[in-house]
Order: sequence, then C-alpha cells, then structure tokens
Amino acid sequence: MLKMWKMPVLLLIASLFMVLSTAHAGKLDEIKARGALVAGVKDSQPPFGYVDENSRQIVGFEPDLCAALAKKLGVKLELKPITSSTRIPMLEQGAIDLIAGTLTHQIAREEKIDFSITYFPAVQKLLVKADSGINSVADLAGKKVGSAKGSTSEQNIKNAQPDCTVVSFETYPEAFLAMKQGKVVAVTTDAPILLGIRNSDDNPDDWIIVGEDIAAEPYGIGVPENDSKFRDFVNITLMEMWRSGEYQALYDQWFGEQTKFHIPLNWTMELWP
Amino acid sequence: MHYTFNWSLIFSGNYGQWFLDGLVITLQLSGLSIFFALLLGTLLTIMRLSDFKPLVWFSVGYIEFFRNTPLVVQIFFWYFGSDPILPDFFKQWLYQQNIEFATGVIALSTYTAAFIAEELRSGILSIPKTQLEASRATGLTFLQAMSYVILPQAFRIVIPPLISQFLNLIKNSSLAMTIGVMELTYMARQVEAHTFHGFEAFTVATLMYLSLSLLVSLGITQYNKKCLRVGYQ
Repeated sequence: MLKMWKMPVLLLIASLFMVLSTAHAGKLDEIKARGALVAGVKDSQPPFGYVDENSRQIVGFEPDLCAALAKKLGVKLELKPITSSTRIPMLEQGAIDLIAGTLTHQIAREEKIDFSITYFPAVQKLLVKADSGINSVADLAGKKVGSAKGSTSEQNIKNAQPDCTVVSFETYPEAFLAMKQGKVVAVTTDAPILLGIRNSDDNPDDWIIVGEDIAAEPYGIGVPENDSKFRDFVNITLMEMWRSGEYQALYDQWFGEQTKFHIPLNWTMELWP
Repeated sequence: MHYTFNWSLIFSGNYGQWFLDGLVITLQLSGLSIFFALLLGTLLTIMRLSDFKPLVWFSVGYIEFFRNTPLVVQIFFWYFGSDPILPDFFKQWLYQQNIEFATGVIALSTYTAAFIAEELRSGILSIPKTQLEASRATGLTFLQAMSYVILPQAFRIVIPPLISQFLNLIKNSSLAMTIGVMELTYMARQVEAHTFHGFEAFTVATLMYLSLSLLVSLGITQYNKKCLRVGYQ
C-alpha cells in the first residue's frame, strides 16, 4: 500500500523522468518511431493548401512538399489543417511536426520556433474590385480593409496605412466574401494567396491585384525550436529537391502556365555548397 | 516544457492598451445588446400572452427558432447571409458604417431575447391571473394592466434568472470576434499573435471576463436586495 504522501512524490519523479527522456529524443527519431510525419497545412488557400472538391482531401503545393519530406524519411504523411492563428501554438505543443502553411519567416517568430530556408518568396499586395479606383496603399485612407487574424499582413497594413480600419477574419476566403459584399474595399495579403483567391472566383476578371510591395513575405517551413538535426534534414531535402529539379516540377504543377494560378518561377533557392 | 512565462510582456508596449480597448468594446457590445434584448424579450412575452392568435404564433415561432439554432450560425447568417436580401442603396450606406459591431449587437440581442422572453413569461404566469382580471375590471386596457400591474412584479421575480442571461450574453459576446469585432477575446488573440505568449494573454482575458461577470452579478443582486427588497425577507 502506498502512503498518501508518497503519491505526489512518485508522480513528480515520473514526470521529471518523462520530461528528461523526451528532451533528448529529437524530432527525427520521434517521427521515425511513430512511422508518420504530421504536417500542419492550410486547407482553404489554393493552390498552397486546400480541400479538393472531388476527392475531399487536402491537396496543394505545400502538402506535396511535405509528401516529399515524408518520402525521404520513409514514413507516411499525415496532414492537419491549421489557420494563421493556430499554427505556431500547435507546433510548440507538438501537435504537428512542422508548419508548411504560407508561414512568413519573421525575426519576431524566431523566439518561439525555428525556420527552414525560404521555399517561396512572396510579397504583400492588395486585391480590389477592378473598377474600385484603388491603386495603392495611400488610396485606402479612411476605408475598411480585410485580412486574416494572426497574419503578418494584418500587422504590415496597419503600419503602412494607419488611417484605415482593418477587419480581420479567420480565413482569407471569408475576407474575400466580405469584399464581394462590399463590407471591405480591399483584401490584403501575399500576392500568390490573392491570386489563388481571385482565380478561384467565378468571375476572376472582376478583381485585380494592385499596389506597391507592402512587405516581403519569404515563406519558410516552421520547425520546433532548438532541434537542429530536424531543421538540417528539412533544409537539405529542400535543396536536394531544387537541384534535382523535383521542386521545379512541383512548382510547375501548381503555379505553371497551364494552371489557374500562374506565377513565373523567377528566383533561386538559397543553395549551400 | 520549454515555455518561459513572461507576465510583464503582456503589459509592455501597447498590449495593455489593447486589452483595455477590447474590454471597452465588450462592454459596449454587451450593454447595448442587453438593452435591446430586454426590450425585444418583453415585447415577445406580451405578444405571447395576448389574445390575438397571429401574435402568439409569431412569438412562439420566434422563440423556438432563435433558441434552437447555434449563436455562431446566427452571427454568420446576419453578417454574410443577409447580403442578398438587402436592397442595394441601403447596403452601400450600411457597409460604410461599423457593420461588424452592429451585426454583433443584432445577433446577440435577437438571440438572448428568446431566452429572456421565456423567463419573463414564467414570471408573469406566477402572478395570479386574478390580478390581471381585476385590473381589466377597473378599466385598464391589456397593455396598461401589463405595464402598471403585472410587469413590475414579474420583473422582480425573474431577476435571478435574468442575471444568468446577462452573464451568458457577456460571455457570448466573444463570438463577435468571428466577424472581426475587436472585443476582448479578439484582442487577447492579437496579443498572443504578436507575443506568442498565449498562456499569459488568455489568462488576462479570463480574469477580465471573470471580474466583469462577478461585478454585474453582484451589482444586480445588491440592487435587488437594497432597493427592491424582494426574495430576501
């Protein structure tokens, strides 16, 4: 029989032991032991990550990148939907192994998580109605602008145009719907996301992407803080994909000329010798 | 555990101000909604207890409809769903205003009114029917009998359940953040998004909601005890 006072002490020792043991096992070993890579991806942001109408599965450029990482590790891939505001806490808590969800590499975010090299260099722009007469951030003075909660775009637009009201929604399609109904005059975020929203609409020609480059938004894969082995693995795999042409093939599949989301591939990945 | 608690961060820079801004919006949202919910709830009760059948049917239909659908669906309906049925000239004016806040007030008050109506009805039914009959016999109309005799008594009886409705409404007001109203929960998430210190941010929000609810509850109970002298003799 255990005496009452012994229980808390034993629990404490047990939990200390668990903390110590997990602290030493890296993400790579953990993933291999589990037999699956759990990746956090967007589920409403074509073509980066969205639910396919026919298959009801999450597909897109970023899920495919994750599939390549899982293949390299020899494990299966499990996708978990994330939003701009849930992704960093989910990674911190270990609910996902990595974030591949249009995540801008920001110095402020380095406090909580680590990043891979840039796999997509985006810039922030405005999406407006074609006949709205809005051409730049200056035209937004006194107007309402839609964005998504917890995104960098939300913070950038407030700095770029303090005189506008930012209305933040859970996802970008909701912000777009609010613009279609006339509740906001513009939606602001990274140009490829805006292009994705615009070209998913029934009448894409009603909408145009305008404005100066409000901010640079280099996307990196978010990985857990202080696990350099795992980060090395992600970085090296990305570079291998670029060198072998696998990255370009994937890019072409989602952003090529034959797609609805054409963006020319006019940059080079950071390649370490 | 790799989490470092940092409480001073929450009050550094503008974050403290954000929380206060959020609290003010929550207070405005809840205050206005409580006012309209009480008004609409009373109206629904009177309709339900009237002799004119179409009014009774309307009231019953309203109450069952609003009580039995999720509030967040109602909020989305008012905000995104109402667009196609509004006339264009009205929309153009309306959408320039603070439509997000207004939608929040509409959704919260129409939803809560259904619950208030039911509670008020039970309060009114607890007043002996003979009082209404006596009032009518002295020459008062139905509405006069209601407003001078029945309702003042009924309101006192239903104060405790009404407090619960007010508290529910204050807490429900956090759902307005789904359509971009910058109330307390929205601001807590903003602080979390900027600092990545979710534990601290949501603890502050929790304490703010808790103190607000306790204050409201205590305030009404005290008023009830000191000024109305009911239920405590």
